Amino acid sequence: MRSGYYKETIARHVDLTDALSQRVWIAIALAALALAPLYFDYYGLSLITLMAITAVGAMGLNVLTGWTGLISLGQTAFMVLGAYSYAISTESWGWPPLAGLALAGIVPALASVVVGIPSLRLTGLYLAITTMASAFIVNHLVLEFDGLTNGSSGIFVNRPTILGFAFDTDQKFYYLCIGVALLTVLACLNLRRSRIGRALVAIRDNDNAARVMGIDLRSYKIYAFMTSSFIVGISGALYGIFLSFVTVDGFPFLLAIEALAILIVGGIGSIAGAILGAIFLVGLPEVTSMIFSLLGDGAQGLLSTSAHEIKGLLYGLVIILFLRLQPHGLMGLWQDARRVWTLWPLRY
Amino acid sequence: MTRHLLQLENVTKKFGGISAVNGVSLHVDKGEIVSIIGPNGAGKTTLFNLISGVLPVSSGQISIEGQDLARVPGHRYAQLGIGRTFQNLALFKHGTVVDNLLVGCHWRMKTSVLEAAFHFGRARREEIAFRHTVEKIIDFLEIEHIRDKTVGTLPYGLQKRVELGRALATSPKVLLLDEIVAGMNQEETEDIARFILDTRDDLGVSILLIEHDMHLVMDISDRVHALNFGSTITEGLPHEVQSHAGVIEAYLGHGSGEGPAAAAPIQTGAVA
Repeated sequence: MRSGYYKETIARHVDLTDALSQRVWIAIALAALALAPLYFDYYGLSLITLMAITAVGAMGLNVLTGWTGLISLGQTAFMVLGAYSYAISTESWGWPPLAGLALAGIVPALASVVVGIPSLRLTGLYLAITTMASAFIVNHLVLEFDGLTNGSSGIFVNRPTILGFAFDTDQKFYYLCIGVALLTVLACLNLRRSRIGRALVAIRDNDNAARVMGIDLRSYKIYAFMTSSFIVGISGALYGIFLSFVTVDGFPFLLAIEALAILIVGGIGSIAGAILGAIFLVGLPEVTSMIFSLLGDGAQGLLSTSAHEIKGLLYGLVIILFLRLQPHGLMGLWQDARRVWTLWPLRY
Repeated sequence: MTRHLLQLENVTKKFGGISAVNGVSLHVDKGEIVSIIGPNGAGKTTLFNLISGVLPVSSGQISIEGQDLARVPGHRYAQLGIGRTFQNLALFKHGTVVDNLLVGCHWRMKTSVLEAAFHFGRARREEIAFRHTVEKIIDFLEIEHIRDKTVGTLPYGLQKRVELGRALATSPKVLLLDEIVAGMNQEETEDIARFILDTRDDLGVSILLIEHDMHLVMDISDRVHALNFGSTITEGLPHEVQSHAGVIEAYLGHGSGEGPAAAAPIQTGAVA
């Protein structure tokens, strides 16, 4: 609730940010991201890298599930396709990494057309189950075409050199991932304020009215699938580079659940929510292990033996708590906090 | 035969064995306000769904400016000049008023996905140009004060007005208004009546109206079309339809046929 604020031209309405304070905060955040490698050790940096990669994937899913309202459990398929497209094109065919990254977006985008076609008739849970099938189909295809994909043994991936700049250390790779994440944020923000973004949200809110407004539901649902899968594919490729090894085991089905959890926890439909959710859910196991380590050796032993189960349990718990207590997620919490801050003590 | 702006010929819609709309013919000419009246379940909204491409017709022909709509996909109707509002609000309730109106401009904008992602060239130019278009509509409907409000938080009467604005944003030649004043008080109804007349007179948009508010129907319609059980009872000037025996029977029931009551016109407002 700002006051004394005037926009003098229509063009100002179209801008992404209009407030000086917002610009200052963005500058501070960018500076913090740029300086992070100086303050974090190897482990901390890899955690932030992972958060950035996850945020890219979450923003991708957000285009489909958050904006268009199509729930997909099949986005791991596009991560796998992205990762393999990158690995095969750069490692086996010797393509330059930039072209590999582009391919890691394009291949999943094209594949998503096939997965997207059922979405023209299905919504809600039915669509979720249909897309889930694609995750398993892609994994089997990867294992089956072992001449191309090396089957279950996977492909080693080197750190890329893009435009003559080698991202060969963890620090440099961190910058690559942050860069891609920032580009994704910008692209998503731009899409959201365009006719395309509005059309997708219109389909979610009221598909009948959207069609009467002249929006072609079929094309736009397919657009949503393609855009989402393009972004998710890129995040898959980055994740493959991060692991330096691409195999189907690196992309378990749990990732699809995790991605939905990120959106719910962050606040569905919001770009900032997707980022916050990614930071929250990637950071959650770390915070938990810190708490466990405070509890003593016995608890720490339990954590190391059943880390995977505890992680799954935590996700479940967090989703339930958020759905029950704050359905608008972290973004909802943030808005509530802001409202309280503005109104307290009776400023208006 | 002269070519009408919007023409329906023998339009029928069957759901299973039931004819919701049965052989209805009507037309709207440029600059006309035509009302469709009829009791609940008469098939009025189904007729609108047919005209706006939400449902396919079973038989018969609908055409706008002479173009047959039979082979036109639903999302192209807006381009051909058919705009509509819905009986129960169908706004994009999470968006602001401006967002909703901009969705109405969708088909007139041409920005592609790539241009949009980079907010480059045409994307930015179009965005600014159509903000101007939207501002004109906001000005026309006198909703400047709620411009940036989320639609879902607005009172019902204003939401209806936003929906009218969204339909106007599609730049229609014929505007279909489905019970736009339902649930409104006298003052709000009069406001809307004024907007409807201005839409016709200033914007040159013809209007097809479904309405239960007989005051409104009688005051602003050029012609009235009465439906019952999916079929046309009569069509004509407002006062002719008002005093038509079949219309009175449809609203008040059979049996009032004896005595002088049948000849008396239905009281305006009695069936509102």
